[in-house]
Amino acid sequence: MTDAPASEKHVHEAALRVLRCPVRRAETAGGWTLLWLEAPEVAAYAAPGQFVMTAVPGGGFHLRRPLSVHRVEDDQVALLVEARGEGTHALASLRAGDIVALSGPLGRGFPLVESGSAVLVGGGIGLAPLAFLADELSRRGVEALAYAGVRSGADVPGVALAGVPGVVVATEDGSVGTAGTVVDLLDRTAEAAAAAGAGAPLYVCGPLPMIAAVERWARGRGASGFASLEAHMACGTGACHGCVVPTASGPQRVCREGPVFPLDQVMTP
Amino acid sequence: MTAGRSGSGPDLTVRLGGVELRHPVVNASGTYEADSLASGGLDAFPFSAYFPKTVTLEARAGNPPPRITETPSGVINAIGLENPGVEAFLTELDGLAGLPSPIVVSVGGGAAADYRSAVERLERHLGEESDAHVPVCGYELNVSCPNVASGVAIGADPEALAALVDDLRSVTDRLLVVKLTPNVTDVVAPARAAERAGADAVSLVNTFRAMVLDRETLRPFLGNRTGGLCGPAIKPIALRMVAEVAAAVGIPVIGLGGIASGQDALEFIACGATLVGVGAAVLADPEAPQRIVAEIADGLRRRGLDELDEIRGVALK
Repeated sequence: MTDAPASEKHVHEAALRVLRCPVRRAETAGGWTLLWLEAPEVAAYAAPGQFVMTAVPGGGFHLRRPLSVHRVEDDQVALLVEARGEGTHALASLRAGDIVALSGPLGRGFPLVESGSAVLVGGGIGLAPLAFLADELSRRGVEALAYAGVRSGADVPGVALAGVPGVVVATEDGSVGTAGTVVDLLDRTAEAAAAAGAGAPLYVCGPLPMIAAVERWARGRGASGFASLEAHMACGTGACHGCVVPTASGPQRVCREGPVFPLDQVMTP
Repeated sequence: MTAGRSGSGPDLTVRLGGVELRHPVVNASGTYEADSLASGGLDAFPFSAYFPKTVTLEARAGNPPPRITETPSGVINAIGLENPGVEAFLTELDGLAGLPSPIVVSVGGGAAADYRSAVERLERHLGEESDAHVPVCGYELNVSCPNVASGVAIGADPEALAALVDDLRSVTDRLLVVKLTPNVTDVVAPARAAERAGADAVSLVNTFRAMVLDRETLRPFLGNRTGGLCGPAIKPIALRMVAEVAAAVGIPVIGLGGIASGQDALEFIACGATLVGVGAAVLADPEAPQRIVAEIADGLRRRGLDELDEIRGVALK
């Protein structure tokens, strides 16, 4: 495995700079909005698992929102937004031609496996960084097996919008795909168990209880991997310690030491 | 440390005790981390003095998450003084030897003896141990964190505060800045007590004790239940408190509370502040410090003024 290519130094420089990026395309489905931005500085350095701190348009907002780099194509970067609160609603209402102020790429991304296969597991909007990861893995010839868990069939168009190749979906209400959680889905998928059993790393992103369930599933098969954590974040650069989470090696900042941590370091509720 | 005037614009230099600063904009402790610049970009440090995150004698784990969120016109936090303790902090400090701005180390504690031990440790390091020549010009005594069980009591009690400053005066010749709490009925009494006991400056305000609920569960959102409110929401209250303190003491006042623009900064200076601290605004915009400095110069130029002394305290008359 190799570390993410973006250097610490570049992350530090990116943290101090605000980039003003025009929206080229915006598309909404299943409550998620896909924004393609002209952001050459981000596109040049971003690694899967890194994020950008994004200013909320419209004024009256006092913290930026952390958004995973969802995909990179030439000079453009895609972000995937789930409209949850007022801030993310405003971000989801951006349209082509609008300008987004952001800093990034920030944080430490997923260490990438160089061969064989990998198991990607996303819960809800946690699918966002896994598209970029799947792209990078397939560029290296790694087979990426991808699984997503969402609440209901109404969320499935969002999963399609996220565009992770070959993703298999579970819905908690059973309306589409396997009924149950994404761990139920892993349990019923011989391919996932075989890969994990053969040493393929897991790459997980989603809510903490889901990460915990996937960690137990992996541990039961002698597998390990990496999880990208969500947190309430303020500065995104390590200064405020607002996003600190407990880990097996003590308190860590999701924005600086993370957002990606070894799966076995994640402390779960 | 001197820094000459840049270009032919208005003179923004200010003095804090015997230290000349190139402009009046500093960071609020805990909102900006210079060590991220240590990989080679220390020259890019935008503030005229650096107030690192508060350090305590022993390491502190801080409060459970969530620790911070946005509120109408503001930001609320309950970090809980998470820090690695003074011993580990010394290493971080040595990495800042090349910082172009002087450092005011923010020190917190429970009992007065903790402050003394922490400052003594720092003095010993700066005096003998370290060859790093870190430009530490003073200490900011954080006697006003609203998110820990102890510490704030000292800031609210003029007698205890005076005793603390008096005690530390015998430990260091560097500047002593007292960060005052706004969570008191009368902010002037602690400020006067600090001055009387030998403080070189006071800074205010720290955050206001406040609360925010989860919208769905209607239970406290922050892991600590309550937090400290900052940002534009507190600016008018902070201005009033800075004006009251500046009218009552002769030492420099560092004004903080919702400063996000050159206009905000000029208003605090008009209320008597010598320096202004930027906190919440830099969380949301890493380019805010440079912009605020430029806007202060523009604000003076637009009024046909050459230096900050011409507006300092005009709101007090």
